[in-house]
Amino acid sequence: MQHDTVAATPARGDAIPAAAVPFIEIRDVHKSFGGVRALKGVSFAIEPGQIYHLMGENGCGKSTLIKILSGAQPADSGDILVNGRPSNGFSPVEALAAGIETVYQDLSLLPNLTVAENIGLTQQLVASSGHLFRRLDRSRMRGTAEAALATVGLPTTSGFLATRIDELPIASRQLVAIARAIASDARLVIMDEPTTALTKREVDNLIAVVNRLRAGGVAVLFVTHKLDECKSIGGRAVIMRDGQKVAEVDVADHSKAELGFWMTGKMLDEARYRQAPKTGDTLIAVEKLGRRAAFSDVSFSVRKGEIVGITGLLDSGRNELALALAGVRPADAGTIQLDGAAVTLKDPGDAIAAGIGYVPEDRLSEGLFLEKSIEDNVVMAVLDRLRGALGLVSARRSRALAEATIADLQVATPDVTRPVQSLSGGNQQRVLIGRWLTIHPKLLILHGPTVGVDVGSKDTIFRIIQRLADEGMGVVIISDDLPELLQNCDRILVMRKGRLAESFEAEGLAEETLYGALVDEARAGAAR
Amino acid sequence: MTDIATTQPVPSTERSAFLRASYWLLRHPPVFTLILIVLVCLVVGSINPDFWQVSNLFDILRASVVRGLFALGVLVVLASGGLDVSFTAIAALVMYSVTMLATNWMPGMPIAVILALATFGGAALGAMNGILVDRLRAPSLIVTIGTQYVIRGFLLTFVGTALFMNIPGSMEAFGKLALIRYVEPNGAISTLPAFVLVLAVAAAVTWWMLERTLIGRAIYAVGGSPSVAERLGFSLRTVHVFVFAYAGLLAGIAGIMHVASNRLANPFDLAGTELDVIAAVILGGARITGGSGSVGGTLLGVVLITLVNNVLILVGIPTTLQLAIIGGFIVLAGAAFSIRRRP
Repeated sequence: MQHDTVAATPARGDAIPAAAVPFIEIRDVHKSFGGVRALKGVSFAIEPGQIYHLMGENGCGKSTLIKILSGAQPADSGDILVNGRPSNGFSPVEALAAGIETVYQDLSLLPNLTVAENIGLTQQLVASSGHLFRRLDRSRMRGTAEAALATVGLPTTSGFLATRIDELPIASRQLVAIARAIASDARLVIMDEPTTALTKREVDNLIAVVNRLRAGGVAVLFVTHKLDECKSIGGRAVIMRDGQKVAEVDVADHSKAELGFWMTGKMLDEARYRQAPKTGDTLIAVEKLGRRAAFSDVSFSVRKGEIVGITGLLDSGRNELALALAGVRPADAGTIQLDGAAVTLKDPGDAIAAGIGYVPEDRLSEGLFLEKSIEDNVVMAVLDRLRGALGLVSARRSRALAEATIADLQVATPDVTRPVQSLSGGNQQRVLIGRWLTIHPKLLILHGPTVGVDVGSKDTIFRIIQRLADEGMGVVIISDDLPELLQNCDRILVMRKGRLAESFEAEGLAEETLYGALVDEARAGAAR
Repeated sequence: MTDIATTQPVPSTERSAFLRASYWLLRHPPVFTLILIVLVCLVVGSINPDFWQVSNLFDILRASVVRGLFALGVLVVLASGGLDVSFTAIAALVMYSVTMLATNWMPGMPIAVILALATFGGAALGAMNGILVDRLRAPSLIVTIGTQYVIRGFLLTFVGTALFMNIPGSMEAFGKLALIRYVEPNGAISTLPAFVLVLAVAAAVTWWMLERTLIGRAIYAVGGSPSVAERLGFSLRTVHVFVFAYAGLLAGIAGIMHVASNRLANPFDLAGTELDVIAAVILGGARITGGSGSVGGTLLGVVLITLVNNVLILVGIPTTLQLAIIGGFIVLAGAAFSIRRRP
């Protein structure tokens, strides 16, 4: 690929006025890790005040590109031009000095420091060129933090400034991370999958912040694989596949299906996955379930072969309900009947014994042992079933079970002895689902099943969910990804303020209606 | 728009004043330590009124100096997410070598030169720890267990094992220098030695360094999350080398204070007091996992440990049982501080 394939970049020369020079331009950038070629000659330009979406599936090279732009890694070859001047790669501090700020997916906030310190420290570090033996200017730090917090719509009280990051809810942390990014005259803010942990309302707020930045001439580069958000934010899409830029287009001119095609190389089915449900008798009946300070009076039932979605805002109690059904944080009121028999779920062991499988939301910290092999992760819940002679776990049966499960769920790996962390997000999620399938659950609870999973893997996971329901398993999906629920469920229950507020048949339900129910009727009514 | 920011976890509705007070307490661990100190004083003082004597206060302050200097160093290393157990070995090597040097070659060496040598020697040995930790990317506990043995072995094999009973004059004078002389009503004279000021100055400098400089914030940043701190542009190597050098520097000074107050340089001294010091820092509210801790809390922790070590004898509790009481406090504090992390 040559640099002149960049569609958005005007021809360059002395006659071009300064305003037409892109803030950043990369030309024919290559990068390899060992024998793997992560970037095979990528070129594109970033204009001030524009919004870009860097899109592609996991492993397409977009993370590598971000690391090169933010100075975390040098390119092997190719040019990086800042304001038209070549700059052969830079250190993190130099990238910051050039005005390139990155909001990483993990936010890269320091959990034990205050809001003011997280926002204001970077600026002073840049001012000292990374030298640490300098006085800390606390009043300047406070001033910087106040200004940046005001821009992103967070409080600027001294109480909030002195709050430790680990005491803040995730949505506020996201905004603090953005506040840090814009605190020191950012010209380009890179946001690495910023919306993964946010509900739709919080995403709307984020978009408002982005538009404010844009009005101030700051360019924003989203790294994402969420087609819906890309469409609703607008701007230009730079689509990568297999280390190369395959398209650079205006988002508005192309359908989600087209964008998805460029990302994956295959046409994606946007239709409902849920077809011809074959539901049977009632599997689980939850009666007036409650947990103090989390949710109360929750009653619903799920039939065999039925897929029920539960959604709500972050503080609606949906997460707590999921944890109660999994026995992780038990309910303290109400009853649960499974297959006609009352069950008490006081710990995860009870839930497993009762035949409830729970795939947690945060697979990295709650579900998987990242350094252990795929096999170990899959067979973990059924070790006693694999006991052979002398009561030891039979290596042969364990391997056979792991391989069967991996094949069943189409996990892309040559070898079940590889560590789980070597897999992509979508494949990790399938390993986790596979673990719960080994206990042959009657009811499978999936908590945010496709968080951080790319489009192609999403498709596979949805197909697996449908197949499980067809085989007679009851499935509960707890998620804030509304299209995901609409595509997969028979019924969708909406939680508000710790209670089940509404129930919808998913067939033919409009996303707007569901979203209205989510934020609450009064506000949704006023908005329309 | 701002409603996003105020989206807090569902608040527990009716919380009693007692619960609120205990939550506040758990978020301010040094207060917990302060309460323990007051409790110990009240209990001991009510059983044995002799406790309320100025001489006793002076004794506790005097006995806090060496432990306090060590503890400030441990605090700085702990805040950066590391753990140092080699500081007593550094102190022993520095105090013994410097005393030997002064006694054998320059008996009239002024205290300023002695302190400068100890500071430099301690910092150099500490920096060596830091370089090893940084280069090997190894857990600092393991590295410093290793260097502790190496340093102690080097001291006893190549430097010497004999006691110095007659320490250089300047050191002896420095140890005797009185800051306050107090005549008790019964005519007994008690003195507060001037070297307690060394701890005061070290505490003030450490506080300023941690709270008012970039390196101070960098230390906490690295203790909070090394990978994030590195990504933000904080140099891990600078922080690693600095914290261990700083701990070594304080250990070197502590060694000289130990010799000056005991008027004796014994190369076998100080060994085995590491856990005592680390316990004091933990009681002061620092987490063993790094990223927290304060100078004020650390000093309170030191006072609490010193108090228990020094005054329980006044109420007839044998020294052997004091160990159990300190252990109880540590378990109590550890449990209390970990509650605040639970949801």
